[in-house]
Amino acid sequence: MKVKVWGARGSVPAPGPEMNRYGGNTSCVELELSDGSTLILDAGTGIRGLGVGIAAELPRVNILLTHLHLDHIQGLMFFAPCFQSHSEITIWGPSSPEASLEERISRYISAPLSPVEVRELPCSVSFLDTPASEWEIGPATIRAEAVTHRGPTLGYRVTDGDNTLTYISDHEPGLGAPLEKLDPEWISGYDLARDTDLLIHDCQYTDAEYSDHVGWGHSKLSDTLTFARRVEAKRLMLFHHDPLHSDEFLDRFGEAAAERWVELGGDPAAIELAAERRELAVAAPAPSPALT
Amino acid sequence: MLDQKPLELILARNFLTNLSTPAFLVDARGGMIFYNEAAGGLLGISFEEFGRRSAEEWGHAIGPFSEGGEPIPIEELPTTRALRQGRPAHGRFKIHSVRGDEHQIESTALPIVAEGGQEGAMIFLWPAVT
Repeated sequence: MKVKVWGARGSVPAPGPEMNRYGGNTSCVELELSDGSTLILDAGTGIRGLGVGIAAELPRVNILLTHLHLDHIQGLMFFAPCFQSHSEITIWGPSSPEASLEERISRYISAPLSPVEVRELPCSVSFLDTPASEWEIGPATIRAEAVTHRGPTLGYRVTDGDNTLTYISDHEPGLGAPLEKLDPEWISGYDLARDTDLLIHDCQYTDAEYSDHVGWGHSKLSDTLTFARRVEAKRLMLFHHDPLHSDEFLDRFGEAAAERWVELGGDPAAIELAAERRELAVAAPAPSPALT
Repeated sequence: MLDQKPLELILARNFLTNLSTPAFLVDARGGMIFYNEAAGGLLGISFEEFGRRSAEEWGHAIGPFSEGGEPIPIEELPTTRALRQGRPAHGRFKIHSVRGDEHQIESTALPIVAEGGQEGAMIFLWPAVT
């Protein structure tokens, strides 16, 4: 399974010369599965750049939405395959007792916010609630679970062969909860992320910033690191960068994160900040040699 | 296999943890799966020490009991009404701490209903007004 980050910013796009290295586009991650097919995690503004590259060659696309906050769907209307008649797009997302997924997304892709309506899109598009149990897309097994954020929000666990990726872009598991002490069954997202090969996880705030943002649905650094250690993630990618955090700030933040990760017993090579266009392969660690 | 709790129960536990009102969390079968520090003070034992108990076990250990000191049948408890009917329920009765102290309390049980159905209930306790 290969990963490419197309948008790592949280809340709102943050373009500008001081944001160039980590990027200003909002949440979008591309997964290339073992059969060559593509799975897309979230449709923030990063999906626009992804769509430009795949429009001609990829008629069938699955998009997994964590939730419907604008920074996770804003790019949908600018996703080139939506405007091609040969495209078949399936959009998965959280269910709601209030309205269907299509109705809720249509509130954005409709007047006065949009010049086009969902029904006018030339592609074939379907909207599906994520199932309560695991399901398959191509060679991947997908699991979606509700996680702590503001409003109905999912995290995803994607397993392809021996490799597992967990994507929890917006998550505040430490809200009112001592993460380091809780039994695993009481930690939001634990089962999704347990023993995963790559955990892509919310880390919007420094610990100092968090005190002004408690309950906003995002994690501070220490909670993200503790969560990752508790679930024993093999590798951690810090995601959903605050729009106020410049490249320079994120460089320092990354250094601090790595130091604390090592203090917690983590491998310094197994933590990084998500950056736009970053590509990596998800691989399970090689098994230890058998004792003789 | 980890018995991962539904998010609604996780959030309820986090909420109760931070309250000064004695409160319990029960699962859909009425089993006591958590209580907060304030409730621990009332019972004379922390949740970490007491542990999870089935409805029968915790009823036997701490009550509730009627004015006359008789155990109240499970079917008559506010918690049971909240779980079975999906409605808030209120009651007044006695409980015992593990040290044998008796407390006259009022209790309100609030059902936790999620998309998948009844997940459990939150039970809040107050000293009874005499």
